[in-house]
Amino acid sequence: MMTKKIKNIFHAARKEALKKKVKATFSYHREKSHLMRIGNNSVSLNTSEDLIRLDIKVNIGRKQGTHTQMGDIISEDYVIQALNIAVEKTKHSIDLDFNPLDDIIEQNFNETIQYDKKLEVLDPSFKQVAYKKIIDTFGQGYNFSGSWSSGSTENFIVTTQNDNEAYHLVTDQNFSIVLKHPDKKWELISVQTGWKKSDFNVNKTIKEFKKLLPVYENNKGFKVKPGKYTVVLGPTAIAEVMEMALWTGFYGRTYEEKRGWTAKNKIGDKVLGSNITITDDPENTGTFMFGFDFSGKKRHKFVICKDGKLKNIIYDPQTAAMYKKKPTGHNIGGTSIAVGTGDGDKSLLKAVKSLGSVLYIPALHYINLPNQSKGIFTGSSRFNAVLIKNGRIVSPIFSSRITDTFQSVFGKVKIISKDSVSVNLSNTYGRRSPVAASVPSYIVTEGIKITDCADSF
Amino acid sequence: MSEKIKKRITENISKLMAKKSAYIDVRLVTEDNSESIVLYDGNLEDNDTTFENGIGVRTLFKGAWGFAATSNLSKLDDCFELSFLNAKTAAELVNVPLSMGKQKGHTGSYKSPVKKDPFKVNLKDKIDFLKLIDAQIKEDWIFKRYISATFQKKNQIFFNSEGTVIERDLTDIFASMMVMGIDNEGQMQRRSHELFSEGDGTRGWEMLTDPKLFSSHTGRIKDELAALLKAESLKYGKRSVILLPGQGWLQVHETIGHPLELDRILGYELSYAGGSFVTLDSFGKLRYGSEKLNVSAFGGFANSPGSFGFDDEGSPEGNYLMIDKGILVNALTSRAMINEANEKAGRKIFKESGGAARSTAFYRAPIDRMTNVNILPGKDGNLKDIILNTEDGIIVDNPTSWSIGSNREHFHFGCEIAWEVKNGKKTKILKNPTYQGHTVEFYNSLSAVGDKSTWQVGQVENCGKGEPNQVMELGHGVPVLRFDNVITGERK
Repeated sequence: MMTKKIKNIFHAARKEALKKKVKATFSYHREKSHLMRIGNNSVSLNTSEDLIRLDIKVNIGRKQGTHTQMGDIISEDYVIQALNIAVEKTKHSIDLDFNPLDDIIEQNFNETIQYDKKLEVLDPSFKQVAYKKIIDTFGQGYNFSGSWSSGSTENFIVTTQNDNEAYHLVTDQNFSIVLKHPDKKWELISVQTGWKKSDFNVNKTIKEFKKLLPVYENNKGFKVKPGKYTVVLGPTAIAEVMEMALWTGFYGRTYEEKRGWTAKNKIGDKVLGSNITITDDPENTGTFMFGFDFSGKKRHKFVICKDGKLKNIIYDPQTAAMYKKKPTGHNIGGTSIAVGTGDGDKSLLKAVKSLGSVLYIPALHYINLPNQSKGIFTGSSRFNAVLIKNGRIVSPIFSSRITDTFQSVFGKVKIISKDSVSVNLSNTYGRRSPVAASVPSYIVTEGIKITDCADSF
Repeated sequence: MSEKIKKRITENISKLMAKKSAYIDVRLVTEDNSESIVLYDGNLEDNDTTFENGIGVRTLFKGAWGFAATSNLSKLDDCFELSFLNAKTAAELVNVPLSMGKQKGHTGSYKSPVKKDPFKVNLKDKIDFLKLIDAQIKEDWIFKRYISATFQKKNQIFFNSEGTVIERDLTDIFASMMVMGIDNEGQMQRRSHELFSEGDGTRGWEMLTDPKLFSSHTGRIKDELAALLKAESLKYGKRSVILLPGQGWLQVHETIGHPLELDRILGYELSYAGGSFVTLDSFGKLRYGSEKLNVSAFGGFANSPGSFGFDDEGSPEGNYLMIDKGILVNALTSRAMINEANEKAGRKIFKESGGAARSTAFYRAPIDRMTNVNILPGKDGNLKDIILNTEDGIIVDNPTSWSIGSNREHFHFGCEIAWEVKNGKKTKILKNPTYQGHTVEFYNSLSAVGDKSTWQVGQVENCGKGEPNQVMELGHGVPVLRFDNVITGERK
């Protein structure tokens, strides 16, 4: 954990910035990451990283600059040298045509509620043993691959605007395993997520595979003809499509610039179905909870869409400054999106029993946006996707493409499950930054467009 | 690099080899700097630098990899030890042991061709250059303007337990400009242009300031946006699709490059990026495309982010054909993957590593990546010639959306702009173009390949793959391409 020495170094650097008469924000990001990858029934990579990043943002009047440096924070000089780089960049910058907002840490924050030491120091052999148990249960006749990331993330922020400090420490894990038939080529996946070691249960994965394997082993793939279908989206699909819908419909930059599918709407307009409520809830335990943003703003429960009506738009500080709005606590890597549940039976099969044929698509691969203005997205089914008839799983389906609109998928929802599931949405492109959404375990929507289907899974 | 650090690295390699490690490699990155500048509507919204340095150690023990990295060289010995311990744990679960084979140690170096180091150009000059372009694309009717430039510089020294030492100095520049407007139906339309190369020339500041490659395109994208704002949408139907290089590079990237990464073919990327419809049995047999399709790896040209001399296993970047007259013959490969593939196939499909093992940073282990994946120029003339021989089709440019099946067997693309082609003539501009297809069927419908005059190298700044995810820079040399009988537009 972060030492007092480092905190003191940050405060010394803060004083130096004040002396230079610049506004500065100093951010510390430390990740202790471990990842085990599985390929061809073996551990293919076992990797550990302990990385520290220092981010400095400087404002001089309407000019701004940022600088990031990776390395141990060993002395005041180290941070002050980085500050000097950021200051020089800012001096040579040009004036913005709006007044940037100051980063102000609204109160002292000290958040460790989702920290589990046991997960942070998890012995890699724990993962290897779990993977081995799964592989041994189903045998070498299948091809197993997967990954299991775990670790801790530590953030600390001070600014020149006041003496307050913001500290956040969280642990997270994201487990996946894919079971592939070497000849028939279908793939099953099991995922688990959480912030503590005990959130992982190897038997849960074994149970999931045992339930689906007979369907895949005993039935040929079903080729879905292009057309409209009743589709059940599972949790990963709901979370990822919703993430895209939010980004293109509810974020201030897209909204103000009329680039998204809500461009013609105003607050209070009906944009989705009456049974859809979306909240950014930093107190939802099914998400990774962040009580402040990187500008120091306290994050509150923030209703984005209530009963299908547009309630609030998300403004990061830069967009807020540009369009003269109030920032909403969203200068942050990820939100805590919670999609409201309904009254659908916990059992998906019971819930769809009276609906005849439905396609269950738990996850969509490679979602993208051919037309943001119209809210059109596209993506294809992959793992665990099946055809259900009268409440019974009858066959796996070949890779099928949905190309439809957010307004359609979340506008005509017939059934929403009563239970919710946590979906890990962490982006591992750069630094560790755990993000999860809490979503219903399924939604059932009629008239979804399937526009293509492969001859394979 | 100090002799002291070098000595400590070689001592640590010896120490771990004495513990019966099969192979060790080390990437010491002394600087990995990037600078990003973004002008959005004339505002300098991004003015950022990032500096990284450190060491990554990869150890192969009893057929399994362990990796560890640190940005603190005082912890170098611990980093080696952790890499070894991670390999030991990994070795507890090995059913398909990995092997690097045996090679003689060698030395080498590579430096990107650069006349003027972009990091020696001061920030004011960089901003002034972008402001000049911004002034050229600024019009009252243009709703938003975006110009970005990213500069990257990396010094890396590679060591392995075979005695190989390779030093590389890599420089890259990426830039793009975009204009956006609201069309007659209230939808946002855009036109953009990205800095490209023609394979030759150098990769310094002089590349960005070469008008042919960047600044001279301002007028064109404005004119095309103006036409798009009044255009009709493309209607659903089957027709020929002519890909300009601004779209062709992404088609090649997603449906030739990724499916030919050998680690994907062997199933190492299933849980995230996906697999490949290509199997080991496909090599030498699969008709991937028509006889007009010839695809190379690397391509032997210097001015590309995918030209880097040696990969992150110290292998020289291979220059070879992957598809020869439509037949699949090779893949993007690294040392451990070719050994496993040849053993599984029971025949020597891959003679040597293609030099495609790449890691994005010192804290990531190398995986199989694209280098330059190129379609070779053909004999069907220039764009005008190809249009002249097209009865019913569209020409498309620049991607807005791309979505590909998990085994790269099917795809859906959206583009910024289309031009209708009827009876050998370019007629009108169409908005919201999309097209989709199945990879093998699509490349077998390749009916025209433009000549060298149509060939450009698309620069890719952000190809994502792997867990943890690694963003990689690479290139695609592509000519104008025509495919027939393609599904275009969206069904009602």
